[in-house]
Amino acid sequence: MKDRKMNLKFGKGDVIAIGIVLALTFLTAAGFHSGVQKQEANTLFIYQDGKLIKEMPLAQDAEFTVEGEYYNRIEIRNQEAGITQSSCPGTDCVHSGWIHEAGRSIVCLPNRVELRVGGESEVDVIVK
Amino acid sequence: MRETKQLIYCAILISLALVLSYIERFIPLQMIVGLPGIKLGLANVVTLMALYFLGVKSAFTILGIRCFLGAFFGGGFSGLAFSLTGGILALVVMTLMRQIKLFSVYGVSVLGAAAHNIGQIGVAVVLMESVYVVGYLPYLLIVSIFTGMATGSICAGVFRILAVSGQIPEKS
Repeated sequence: MKDRKMNLKFGKGDVIAIGIVLALTFLTAAGFHSGVQKQEANTLFIYQDGKLIKEMPLAQDAEFTVEGEYYNRIEIRNQEAGITQSSCPGTDCVHSGWIHEAGRSIVCLPNRVELRVGGESEVDVIVK
Repeated sequence: MRETKQLIYCAILISLALVLSYIERFIPLQMIVGLPGIKLGLANVVTLMALYFLGVKSAFTILGIRCFLGAFFGGGFSGLAFSLTGGILALVVMTLMRQIKLFSVYGVSVLGAAAHNIGQIGVAVVLMESVYVVGYLPYLLIVSIFTGMATGSICAGVFRILAVSGQIPEKS
């Protein structure tokens, strides 16, 4: 470009920019994994508005529906938990699939619901 | 005269951003990446365009009005909190990064996309009262490199044409 004010060519600096984002990726991933204690994954914790509203053992197939501004139908199948139906717009929570590892979560932002897998006697030390 | 021109440009860019974020819903990016809420961030092209050609002040105005109208047309309040926080953080980062001569529009765009995701996860942490949402951030950041490059290349093409047609970019 003739105009010095605008740089429109991909260059070395942009590789650095990508490097910065990659570094942030690894930092957040590492930070998250060291934050989540290596705990057993045997229980599904269901939160709404940040409050724990239900605990369900992953060992048992079960269903549960969270009410609220919208509804979320939660199912436990083969030791995995997922949201199978939701009245929220977008239904991102349904598309999030199934979770079984400790620390993993599925979030329904419109209904402010969070499913989280953890150990039976989980204390909310990390959150608070 | 110049003020009228600026006003018209702002209006056009706001409607362009709204149309782009609407069209974006039909791009099935989630099928490829499989993460909830993944978007290409086409509206960011407009933010960058405003930043480069109309200046920081207009860029913030366009972003704010775009987010409010977007929420009004179907995003809802929680949607507004996300788009506004993500958008403002992205614009602040892009404004600063543009000052650094090292980065081209590609680098500025990638860093803006990353900032946008960080802002959104920040809102999610506050709204959900849970830090576990941060677990999504690494995935979002990786994806933001690709979406940032994509929107960056759109910007490079559009800016080139604008410059050739006689539009003068604002001083950074």
